[in-house]
Parts: sequence; C-alpha cells; structure tokens
Amino acid sequence: MSSPFTGLLQSLIRHRGVTGCMVVGEADGMVIDSSLQIGVNGDAFAALTASLYRKARRAAAAAGFGPTGFFELDADGGRMCAAGRNDLVIVVIAEPRVNVGLLRVEMLKALEALA
Amino acid sequence: MKLSLSVAENWVEAPLKQFVNEARVQLAVLLNPSGQVLGQYGFASSVDVMTACALAAATTASSAELGRQVDGKPFSGLHYAGKVRQIFLGQVPTAKSSLILLTVFDEESSLGLVQLFFAELCTAISQIVPPEAPTTPALAEDFERELNRNLSAMFGRS
Repeated sequence: MSSPFTGLLQSLIRHRGVTGCMVVGEADGMVIDSSLQIGVNGDAFAALTASLYRKARRAAAAAGFGPTGFFELDADGGRMCAAGRNDLVIVVIAEPRVNVGLLRVEMLKALEALA
Repeated sequence: MKLSLSVAENWVEAPLKQFVNEARVQLAVLLNPSGQVLGQYGFASSVDVMTACALAAATTASSAELGRQVDGKPFSGLHYAGKVRQIFLGQVPTAKSSLILLTVFDEESSLGLVQLFFAELCTAISQIVPPEAPTTPALAEDFERELNRNLSAMFGRS
C-alpha cells in the first residue's frame, strides 16, 4: 500500500548506510509511513525521536536561534537525522559510514515535499 | 496540594513510578476493572481519584463491549486528544485478569511516548503482579470497604 510519502521514503532508503526512514507526526510521535530494515523498532524510535526533535526545536527557539531545520544525533553504532515541517518529521536511521552531507541535502529536498 | 505518587499495593509503586517519570504524564491512575484504585500519581484528592476510577472503569467496559460488537474482541486502548490535554486509557493484562491505566498528558509528552512506556509498564506488571493481587472485582458487599481502604492508604482520611 502506498502513501503520499512512499516516493520520498524510497529515495532516502536507497542511500548507502541508511537502515530506515520514517515520516512521523511531530506532536504525537506516531509513524505515518516508514521503510525500515528488519530489527528496527519503528514505533519506539518514532516516539522518542519526535520527542527529541520537539525539544530541540523548543531549545533552539528559546536560545533565539530560530526554527530548527536539521537535527543530527551521533552514536557509536549509528546516526539519527531528523528534519521537520508542517508538524511532520522525516527521520532517518543510518550506519556511522553514511554520507551525512548527501543525506542532509536529500532530507532538505524531501522536506519540500511536505510543504 | 499533594501531587506525589501513592499506592495502595506496594508492587504497583516501581512500575508506575517508572511510567510517570519516563512518559512525563501529568496524571496517572492504575485500577482494577471494578474501579478500585491500586496506585495514583498527580491527583490532589481522593474524591478526584474516585471519580476518575469510576469513569475509567465504565469507559473501559463500554469500549470493550463496543470492540466485541465491532471487531469480535474488546478494544484494548482508547485515546482522546483535547486542545491542551490528552487522555489515554489502556488495559494492562495480568495472569488472572487485567488492570486499567488512565493517564493524562499534555505537550510535554505525546501519544507515541505514552504508548511506548505503557507497553513497558504492561511487561513490568505482568512480571511482578503477585498471585493474590486484587485484580478481580470485589463483591458488591465488599466494594465500598475495599475502595475506602485503598483511598485511605493513599490519602489518609479525606
């Protein structure tokens, strides 16, 4: 079954090192559409990432930085990137070897589709 | 105003505390299907808890029956999103029966987070619920006494 976000997710999951991507509701942290490799707990990841993104956005606003465009979390075993617009957040889960620069460009491009 | 966690059954404290801390909810109450409270967080008075428990038990019974009519099995969770606050009502399965969790949250949390930590609460409770725990409804003649006992344990004389 396809959704308006299927094409967007397919373009992100094709990147080398990307293990999952999702479109998540920013306010409720629920998965709207996703493309995930086996072993990724999408529901838990979506809920926690949306919460983190929301708080990062509020922190940036409180610091006077303006709207948050792109959010990245680095860990030993992988990376998580998020970018949001219109109460939707695109979340990408990737291996450490992923080309973050390219991924960032793709995610910001994908954001246009959420406009 | 008393806004801390209090329990009528000791085994409820750890999992309920963890749920409240991690899901960042404003109110939470764990009860059995007949409406007897086992633990609460955030309520200011026993009257509020009593009202919430009665409504939660009635709503769960109604939605369970509605689920049976519609889907052949009871609905296990209910979410209502208000403008500022939201309600989540879920059934916590136990070996003998099930318990009910009613929780209220605002923009500090989200439905996704509440569902995530509710699942962890269910797992924790299923592992620690003692065999003699009062998960089954009390008999009608014992109900008020049991209700008052639990409320007194949490709020003292109210």
